[in-house]
Amino acid sequence: MNSQIHILTIEDEKSMSSYIATFLNGENYKVSSAMTGSEGLSLAAVLRPDVILLDLGLPDMDGIEVLRRLRSWSRIPIIIVSARHEESEKVMALDQGADDYITKPFGTNELAARIRTCLRHNKSASSKIYRALDLEIQFEKRSIRLRGEQIHLTQIEYQLLTLLAENAGRVLTYNFLMNAIWGPYIDDNNQILRVNMANIRRKIELNPAQPQYVFTEIGIGYRMLENECEA
Amino acid sequence: MFRKLRTLSRYKQHFFSILFSTVCMGTAALISSLYCRFSANAVNITLVFLLFLLLESCAAVTYLYDVLCSLFAVLFLSSLYNASFMEYLFTFFGMSAVTIWTSRLLSRRYARKALTAEQEKCLVRTDMDRIRANLLRAVSHDLRTPLASIMGNSLILLENGSNLDSDEKNRILSYIHEDSSWLSNMTENLLTVTRIRNDDLAITSRNEIVEEVVGEALQKMKRRHPDFRIQAKIPEDIIMIPMDAILIEQVIINLLENALQHSSSAKPIDLLVENTSREAVFTVRDYGQGIPSELMDTLFDGTACTMAHTADSKKGNGIGLAVCKTIIDAHHGSIIGRNHDHGAEFIFTLPGKERGGAA
Repeated sequence: MNSQIHILTIEDEKSMSSYIATFLNGENYKVSSAMTGSEGLSLAAVLRPDVILLDLGLPDMDGIEVLRRLRSWSRIPIIIVSARHEESEKVMALDQGADDYITKPFGTNELAARIRTCLRHNKSASSKIYRALDLEIQFEKRSIRLRGEQIHLTQIEYQLLTLLAENAGRVLTYNFLMNAIWGPYIDDNNQILRVNMANIRRKIELNPAQPQYVFTEIGIGYRMLENECEA
Repeated sequence: MFRKLRTLSRYKQHFFSILFSTVCMGTAALISSLYCRFSANAVNITLVFLLFLLLESCAAVTYLYDVLCSLFAVLFLSSLYNASFMEYLFTFFGMSAVTIWTSRLLSRRYARKALTAEQEKCLVRTDMDRIRANLLRAVSHDLRTPLASIMGNSLILLENGSNLDSDEKNRILSYIHEDSSWLSNMTENLLTVTRIRNDDLAITSRNEIVEEVVGEALQKMKRRHPDFRIQAKIPEDIIMIPMDAILIEQVIINLLENALQHSSSAKPIDLLVENTSREAVFTVRDYGQGIPSELMDTLFDGTACTMAHTADSKKGNGIGLAVCKTIIDAHHGSIIGRNHDHGAEFIFTLPGKERGGAA
């Protein structure tokens, strides 16, 4: 890699921002830090970073507003860093165009994984094969194999699983999935989605209570295990 | 309708009372004049007035209205029939007595009902105050110790950092890390409790799939304790239970953390979910030393930690279990802790059908 990957953190807490910067520098990323929303907006425009880490609780303006303004001119991957407990806040941020979120307090491994996933999805078109542990999906052949055996899914289940696999490692909100599979005119009740997910779990997971492939993020959506083919 | 009247402002009460009385008396007069065309039976006309007077007295705010209406009835009667003044006086007193008595009985009944409602509200409030006081006590006890340790240890590093060898530094840093992650767990616990509405202990429950909630709780536990082993067993059917998933997840995490920390055993913990027609039953079972008998009575009231500290130096589970109890109570479920043959188990239940008003 000839140029370092550049990450911008927009975070008002000095200790937090220094913790993130120290860790990311160690991981060989270049890090710039902004302490306020407006500083973050101008730095983002000048520096054109590869990933933005955005804290939702900023002193000068609402984090969601910063997100909205960034999205008005740029597709830079944005990861929301939030201490807030409210899922509705995160869902709003994700539906407004944030790529992923991470909740304080988080470990360094978790942060590194989120950044990797974001960079990967931004860089290339999704790969033709999803492979993780014993599960393999070949998108073109429409084939799903678990421990080498073909798995049979219904049409909707297949669409759901492949959508999650194509975005493996990223959280997809209930809204996003409902829209993608059932179209924009389906009502808000996501029961149908969750029952379908429960059926998928019964077909691909050994123990639905201890899933290995598709994880639930309660109140937000689902996240699939990262694709080993892309790593 | 008449009870509602008592909740209006005083001014409005009088207005509606007068209006209602006028309508009552007007109707009575109309019916009696119509009746007069067909028959001249004085008893029946008096009966009509008496009935409407009774109706009027239900809404009367003061006895004055009762008396005035009775007076009107007697005057109306006197225009239809000729009788002596004394007889009218007698009718007047009779009517007044009936109406005043009715008003009095009704207003007493409403007052008593209002009082009972007020007492019930008070009862709920004291219950909540008790829970909150317990939580606060547990918080102040459980949070102070790790905070003091973090402050002390970091101060040592700041002031004497250069004199310490790297082993000592690492030891101090790991203390700080351990204490702060423990504090972070506790904060998580306290934050979840704020999701329960303060005034009536109500929660926003939605239909959730049990395995998703259990799955996420296990996922979080795995992140915190990578070598932690657990066997989860849930029914094959998809179970939907109305709940606040974030809260129930916290309950499961707290129970698992407890089992992990206090069982002093490396055997895997069991997490079972069973489904009956009325409720879902969750069991967290460890195979360790069991719950000490002296803690049994105070497990859930936030004081358990104080005693646990004398037995072993591990941090208490006071807040965790008190939070569990608060959450399960708000879901109208039940939670118990007991010993089985090879260790301790905690069992909580969640009612299956959406309860009226709980949603």
